Amino acid sequence: MSSLTNRLRDFLLTPQSSIWLTILRMGLGLQVLCYGLSLRKDWLELLERENQGVIRRDLTEAILSARSPFIPRVGWIADIGAYLGLSEATVLWAVWTVLMLAALLVVIGLFCRISSVVVWLLYLCTAKSAELFSYGVDNFTIIGLFYLAIGPLPDSAALDAQWRGIPPGNSTLQGLHRRVLQLHICVIYFFGGISKCAGRGWWNGISLWRALTRAPFDIVPPEILIRASFILTLAGILVCVMEATYAIFIWPRKTRFIWFAGVLGMHVGIGLMMGMYLFASVMIVLNLAAFGPGFAFNRSAVSKIGRPNAAGTATLPAKHLSA
Amino acid sequence: MRLAFFVLQFLLILLVCFHDIFSTFSESPTLFPSLLQHFWSQAAEVVATPLGQTLPETSSARHIISAYLNATGIESGYSYFAPNIPDSYKIVFELHYPDGRTEFELPTVSGRATGLRLSTLLDVMGETDYEPLRSMMVKMLAYSVWQKHSEAREVRAVFGYIDLPTPSEFRQGRKQSYHPLFAYDLDFNSTQTQGQ
Repeated sequence: MSSLTNRLRDFLLTPQSSIWLTILRMGLGLQVLCYGLSLRKDWLELLERENQGVIRRDLTEAILSARSPFIPRVGWIADIGAYLGLSEATVLWAVWTVLMLAALLVVIGLFCRISSVVVWLLYLCTAKSAELFSYGVDNFTIIGLFYLAIGPLPDSAALDAQWRGIPPGNSTLQGLHRRVLQLHICVIYFFGGISKCAGRGWWNGISLWRALTRAPFDIVPPEILIRASFILTLAGILVCVMEATYAIFIWPRKTRFIWFAGVLGMHVGIGLMMGMYLFASVMIVLNLAAFGPGFAFNRSAVSKIGRPNAAGTATLPAKHLSA
Repeated sequence: MRLAFFVLQFLLILLVCFHDIFSTFSESPTLFPSLLQHFWSQAAEVVATPLGQTLPETSSARHIISAYLNATGIESGYSYFAPNIPDSYKIVFELHYPDGRTEFELPTVSGRATGLRLSTLLDVMGETDYEPLRSMMVKMLAYSVWQKHSEAREVRAVFGYIDLPTPSEFRQGRKQSYHPLFAYDLDFNSTQTQGQ
């Protein structure tokens, strides 16, 4: 029993370098910048309560309130703005500007903690207030931003560490937080894979065909797809198998790189063939942070972990680091 | 303390995922025998209990759990595009002018990123069973179109789904087809709505 507890402790509390956090921080910062820039022209249309919006925000927020009145939303910020005499459009553009500035700070790693909390909360508010327009990308970005906001910031590459001299979070905490992200990613693929495996269409290529010909994901003309229909069957089966078994084969050293590269390839494919660039990029960022450098590849980066960090807390035998 | 928090977080993630997958299996055709559908829906109900979903809708505990799940992005499972790919939906607006002209419009947004999000809205409309909510969403979408054509006397919103051909049907020359599900006649001058 105590052996099991020790193994669990070793698994969860294995010290790690902060490179994963650097990837998560910079990747999510860029992701939020792309989110804001891609929605800039429709920002008011998506979030306004007045009559110019596609779907008025108060309808979305009423649905949100029925679920829970405590879920953060743009309406709260707009109410504060109204109290201060600011118009709704001014408040919404202020939200956009602060979100972009905070995302920029997250990318460069300046005032990491506060800027990552601001980005998480503002992204959450905007995604929830436009929830009728929300899809998977928002959930995954919020998941990543939450782990970043509570993460052991700053990482060693952040300006906070390099320029302001704030010591990076200790390596045991880095290890614990990375493990949580790794386990969460495993759960995501396991349940995604199992639910696909249960559908007949994923085993005969029909589901992949429908996914690629369904508006608005029909980037590739069906005339081209039909010529490669045998590949659709194979790719559908591969998606099912790779997702469902990711939680198993990402851990052994012999298979981890294959599964890691396979899943990254799948997301690149989703981005290019379905036009879901933001969805693809957030999944790639989460995978790279969880299982990238120091895990699936670039072992030399791991060997640096054994050195004491600025807080003097990291001393670890190399044998523990590649698990 | 931190470890306990992560254990709780992970437990919630698992509960949400199990609830999602059991609900999905109970509502969609799968490779599993149909006899199991009752089991899936019962399992979904069991898992819903610790998530607070069986508590009264006004319960504070339910609201707090829901707020936490939403704030951390774990309120929904990961059965995207599974077990089957649903049909896509389309809404077309017929704009009727006083001189007898009729124009057809689709909802428009500026960028592709918003276009992807608009398709989510159409999916929500198609899957909403609560008629007043669906009617409200159609009316709001129609109003945003009418504002660009405010001289139109009446707007008829036709909502339908697109039936996609299978690969073998496509080879035989069958194209995707549009099937109306419901229509609304909207008169924004007198703010009357009639659903069909």
